[in-house]
Amino acid sequence: MTATGLHRVTPARVLRSEWHKLTTLRSTWIGLGLTVVLTLGTGLLVAASYEGGGGDDDIDTVLMILLGMQFTYVVLGTLGVLTTAGEHSTGQIRATMTAVPRRLPVLWSKAAVLACAGFLTVLTANFVTFPLAQTFLTDTAHAASLTDPGVARALVTNAAGLALLGVLALALGSMLRSVPTGIGALIGLTMILPELLPLLPYDVVDDAARHFPAKAVEALTHATPQPGMPTPGAALLSMTLWTAGSLALAALLLRRRDV
Amino acid sequence: MMTAQHLTKRYGGRNGKTAVDDLTFTVRPGTVTGFLGPNGAGKSTTMRMILGLDAPTSGNVTVGGRSYAAHPAPLTEVGALLEARSVHPGRTARYHLRGLALTHGLPKRRVDEVLDLTGLTQVADRRVKGFSLGMGQRLGIAAALLGDPATLVLDEPVNGLDPEGVRWIRTLLKSLAAEGRTVLVSSHLMSEMALTADHLIVIGRGRLLADTTVTDFVRDSGAASVRVVTPDPDALTVLLQAPGVAITDTAGALDIRGTTAEHIGRTAAAHGIPLYELTPSTSSLEDAFMTLTHDAVEYTAPQGAAA
Repeated sequence: MTATGLHRVTPARVLRSEWHKLTTLRSTWIGLGLTVVLTLGTGLLVAASYEGGGGDDDIDTVLMILLGMQFTYVVLGTLGVLTTAGEHSTGQIRATMTAVPRRLPVLWSKAAVLACAGFLTVLTANFVTFPLAQTFLTDTAHAASLTDPGVARALVTNAAGLALLGVLALALGSMLRSVPTGIGALIGLTMILPELLPLLPYDVVDDAARHFPAKAVEALTHATPQPGMPTPGAALLSMTLWTAGSLALAALLLRRRDV
Repeated sequence: MMTAQHLTKRYGGRNGKTAVDDLTFTVRPGTVTGFLGPNGAGKSTTMRMILGLDAPTSGNVTVGGRSYAAHPAPLTEVGALLEARSVHPGRTARYHLRGLALTHGLPKRRVDEVLDLTGLTQVADRRVKGFSLGMGQRLGIAAALLGDPATLVLDEPVNGLDPEGVRWIRTLLKSLAAEGRTVLVSSHLMSEMALTADHLIVIGRGRLLADTTVTDFVRDSGAASVRVVTPDPDALTVLLQAPGVAITDTAGALDIRGTTAEHIGRTAAAHGIPLYELTPSTSSLEDAFMTLTHDAVEYTAPQGAAA
């Protein structure tokens, strides 16, 4: 019967525990590994097969090289859902919430460690992929360097956007408590819905659709924002609001519901 | 010390199912308290409420004077083994325990200690996915002991254990109680509780049926019987006749209820009646428990209804 004061639950301890839990699951390493491999592989493939003069000249150079982010979107989203819904489906959540019965520190810590791991992984993948892909693109319309305006910023904001997306998925997983439902909701709400919404004849819906996560992440991946697209700042704000909103809702439900 | 007051849990609105119904009981330190009831009686729900996993619809339950969630270091107050598995199968046993230990800043050494204590050291670095039911159960107990808690709440701990494991649990629970800890252990097997517990809390359909000691329960239930083989059953039957004593003659043996083997032996000796066999049996304890909990379906049993 240990002295209680010595072993209280603190936010820092919960954070360490969640970091330990994230890094001791095989799925985490598979997901983060896939992120690097698919970003790099897709980027090199696109660059190596690029021939000037096609319709590809209009596309933003950073977006073209980071086309692999379509995969990352789903992979990080799945990791996010697994972090929370995976605990519910396996029963781990009961052990977790028994150790931290105040519950909310667990959610904040999960979000923080996933955001951190996701951001650093995508950032690394981006800064390796871009210069390597450029070796295929010398003397083409897409020749660019990291020091060109907007390029380094786009590589960073893409990583930030995808990390936030991962946290958004984590919040959905926490609310829905099922891995398949969580992944379905993520794809349906953030990828499919913004494609369908513009079919409605209302301008306001059209504007809103541009700020949906998939669209916002796409905007964050432009070195030079296109007309009619949110600015990097606005897109980052949208992503932050989506994520914060979902996380707040997940927190509210986590407090109120039985585990 | 654990106290539940008018603890109630209803699911699904007004016409929903009442899993736990106005349960009031106290679990004292230093003894093993058996929490007994048939499957679906509300044992697991009660235990989840003790741990703050489920919120009571009304009433409350405290451990050491506070609700579970109000403890700054809950794992050092209450250790819990829940019936359903509470482990991610993709992690190794050691990593699972380490993850829990980190939330309280418990040292790595403590993880090794509980692995050793539960006999899991050999398989500590294997993923839980490949664990047998018994190994999973041992891991759950390791997690419960991690914070060296003053109170233990164990839901069906002998489930899936081999006979050696069952004996190990029995000894462990008794030694934990002997150290002055509060031990609440649930089971749907009366016979198991008779061997492990000192005190009994019996529930059925979410209601309290009995809050008594095992000895009293056994005596009052009338389930304890003594098997006697004697060449002169008629004489012995006459001598033992008393209010509350029931004697049945079955195939050359007497089945005697409502008195003790000691009394029967002394009576026989005093009258020179030879006894070939004198065997106390609690094998029909299970029947008494079944009868008690079966009644709960039809009647509202007040506290101490077993008496």
